[in-house]
Amino acid sequence: MQGTIFDIKEFTVHDGPGIRSTIFLKGCPLRCIWCHNPEGLSSAPQLMITQNGCTGCGLCRKPCDHPRCQGLGRCAFRCPQGLVKIAGERVEAKDLADRMLRQREFFESSGGGVTISGGEPLFQPAFLMELLERLAPLHRLIETSGYAPEEVFRQAAERCEHVFLDIKHPDDAVHRRVTGVSNKQILKNLSYLKQSGLPYTIRIPLIPGINDDPAVIRQIAGLLKGERGALQRVEFMPYNPFAPAKYEMTGMPFAYKKPRDNDLDSLPLEEFHALGIQTKVL
Amino acid sequence: MDARVQQLRQMILKKAHDQYRVNIERSAKEYATLNLSDVERACRRLCAMLEAETPVVFPEERICYTRTVKNLFPLYTDEEWEVRSKPFVWGVGNICPDYATTIGMGLNAQRERCAQKLKTADEKQREFLSCLIRDIDAVLDLARRYREEALRVGNQIVADTLTRVPAQGARTFLEALQFFRILHFTLWCEGENHNGIGRFDQYMYPYWKRDIENGVLTEEEAFSLLEEFFLTFNRDNDLYPGVQKGDNGQSMMLGGVDRDGKPAFNELSSLCLRASRELLLIDPKINIRVDKNTPASVFYEGTLLTKQGLGFPQYSNDDVVIPGLVKLGYSLEDARDYTVAACWEFIIPQYGMEIPNIDAFSFPDAVDECVKMLDSFDSYEAFLEALKARMQIQCDRLVEHANTMTLLPAPFVSMMMDDCVERGEDISAGARYNNYGLHGVGLSAAVDAVESIRLHVFEKRDVSPQEMMDAVETDFAGRPELLHLLRYETPKFGDGDPEVDEIASLLAGRFADCLEGKKNNRGGIYRAGTGSAMYYLWYGDHSRATPGGHRKGEPWGANYAPELSVRSKGPLSVIQSFTAPDLMRIINGGPLTMEFHDSVFRDEESIWKVARLVQAFVLRGGHQMQLNSVNREVLLDAQKHPENYQNLIVRVWGWSAYFVQLDKTYQDHVIARQEFQV
Repeated sequence: MQGTIFDIKEFTVHDGPGIRSTIFLKGCPLRCIWCHNPEGLSSAPQLMITQNGCTGCGLCRKPCDHPRCQGLGRCAFRCPQGLVKIAGERVEAKDLADRMLRQREFFESSGGGVTISGGEPLFQPAFLMELLERLAPLHRLIETSGYAPEEVFRQAAERCEHVFLDIKHPDDAVHRRVTGVSNKQILKNLSYLKQSGLPYTIRIPLIPGINDDPAVIRQIAGLLKGERGALQRVEFMPYNPFAPAKYEMTGMPFAYKKPRDNDLDSLPLEEFHALGIQTKVL
Repeated sequence: MDARVQQLRQMILKKAHDQYRVNIERSAKEYATLNLSDVERACRRLCAMLEAETPVVFPEERICYTRTVKNLFPLYTDEEWEVRSKPFVWGVGNICPDYATTIGMGLNAQRERCAQKLKTADEKQREFLSCLIRDIDAVLDLARRYREEALRVGNQIVADTLTRVPAQGARTFLEALQFFRILHFTLWCEGENHNGIGRFDQYMYPYWKRDIENGVLTEEEAFSLLEEFFLTFNRDNDLYPGVQKGDNGQSMMLGGVDRDGKPAFNELSSLCLRASRELLLIDPKINIRVDKNTPASVFYEGTLLTKQGLGFPQYSNDDVVIPGLVKLGYSLEDARDYTVAACWEFIIPQYGMEIPNIDAFSFPDAVDECVKMLDSFDSYEAFLEALKARMQIQCDRLVEHANTMTLLPAPFVSMMMDDCVERGEDISAGARYNNYGLHGVGLSAAVDAVESIRLHVFEKRDVSPQEMMDAVETDFAGRPELLHLLRYETPKFGDGDPEVDEIASLLAGRFADCLEGKKNNRGGIYRAGTGSAMYYLWYGDHSRATPGGHRKGEPWGANYAPELSVRSKGPLSVIQSFTAPDLMRIINGGPLTMEFHDSVFRDEESIWKVARLVQAFVLRGGHQMQLNSVNREVLLDAQKHPENYQNLIVRVWGWSAYFVQLDKTYQDHVIARQEFQV
């Protein structure tokens, strides 16, 4: 079946073990105010326009009859500099899997594989399941917000060799405010991972002023106390300073204002180490 | 890096030695008046150059020799040169002499060999041998003066070393390094360019090992000397001529297999990588030979160096290069001993008087000739046949021109080449291998153009031949949608698309076919390669647009890499494509070049991943690869504020240079290359 993706990146060094490619599925139920992949939010195709290099020739504004351009307001097939692109492409799971499988030597020789990220990969469950099954010969990893029905989460996780689960905030009220959704479902799915025996990694995006306070991080550590199954480690992802650029390209408003930089030195890594959990700051 | 090396490094960065330099005006009138032979002039010039040198010994240094005469004296008057340089003259250079034998035996013994040979020599041999003897005497004389200067400034270590070398053979690591420095220094003074260092970790290893085992040096002391030795390559490199500053051919080869095929990467190889990593200078340019059995740790050590952003190491794959050279007629033992010339051309130390960069074949030019008559082909096959014919015509023309080349003699370097002394003959007369190499420029642009023609003109027929011809002729004026279709929406070489890669295999193989059986005027053959040297700009400049959507006058990609305008799918697809052709057949040299954003190298895990990527390239049968760690923002800022980036280093084509010293066109090309992000 078909699904919508907005990118495939090869050799993504921070998306799991070994040499990997990452497939980005388009569409996400969360609206994290700091999101650095705004083109992954909506399920619909949208324009991505690089401003740098634009000569203002106006060719992209002239009407065209390309089916993919209809409804976007610009023509994406005329820019002499190639600056106007469409994020969002319908692809067959089989074609996508075949493309990945053609590169299996790279993955296998290095202990790597394919990572499926987004957007939110679990937001296109049927497509995701087919894709994961077709990718079975490879090491599979999903990178998810965990915001999905338990059944979907479990089915996807069982089709992977490794799961990356984001924990963005331990407090439900704050979570609702900064991501638009409750964290209850996410924590339920964390509980599933803890008892599933599946290797998994907890990832924490460090957003200045939102969750990078040591007290908040300590609370997250608290969520990992006790039996936690095959947790491999906790990874911290410092705030991506290039996030605003993509909003400009998509013409979307970017509401989040970074109050300060991350203070990585104040990260209470020892809280995790005391629990016997390895950490890594990316 | 210990304090002493730090201090010596600072001296180089501050160009403290610059104050000792002078320009000395000399004319070649006397040579002309006496109507001297070429070899006699070469000898007299070297003697004069060495005589004009003023010894400079710094208190902290253990390895001395600093150029004080900036310029190279002329061999011919302008009027003479008008005649002599026709039709085509080349200076000896871009080769790798056998330093080790001379370092081991000493110049007195080399002199004695010449004297013995002289007894039975004929007239021509006598001229060469007596020139070489006078050269040796001049080298010994400068060494004597250096020793006196060392004593005068109270540098006893240098004085002691020079008591032994270069007159006698080296016994220790320090003596061997100083001896090398003297030989290498002399080559530049003789007028040779791009003097390769070769397999340093092989021929120096015994000295290093013996000193460590005998307690002559601790490992730290030996490493300190090694780092100082590396610094010596940066002392005079601004005087060495090249297309741009930095293009000086001081290439060092590490690892690989020995002449018996046994793995040769040793402790000294590792130390060389470490020294380069610490010193952060453009010379020596590091190469590593690897194969399918090379341990992952070697790729890892190499990647630690890549991370530093110097644009090296460059990797060469023994599994492809050695059999490739054997197929071209090299003996297996010699092939196993290969190194690279200035950039990436595979040559044999000591036995190769090869000219691997004699000229450059342009793939896009051959395609363009056929585009001009695109409306005359009734099938894709007919188009390909015409293209093959055009390629042959261009190769024939290049060969015809190259075969008019003559070499100027170089008696001193001849001492270190093949059996020149035994033969009593200058190296310019030939060696065991006398092959010529042609670069292959713009393969990707040509492949992309052919794919466009195949797909749009012949398969889908959505672009008529006439429309394609007009678009190319007018540089797509008034045809933005066609340009977009061809430039951005049509498969490219580097996309990992088997059909496109097939075209690359075809064109690369055809290039090799065109040169097969061609003989050069020095008894050698022609080798086809995948390098570009500076021709990616020189040829790009005057080029028309292409059916692949390449615009008029845009530069081609450097070396063996996707076109600059290609929206790459990523490094895996690039490697897939670029390992598809039979690289054993186009083995003159020329690396797949890939740029990575410097943040890719941020942590240990990522460094291992890059190491595995290089290894994957090798396992897939890639021949040569060069990775760069770059940051476009930094480069753009460096263009605006060069004063803040005096030590910023980038890889240009087969060598690394200080970014701010490059002409803007070269800077812009580096900036325009595809940069793989995290």
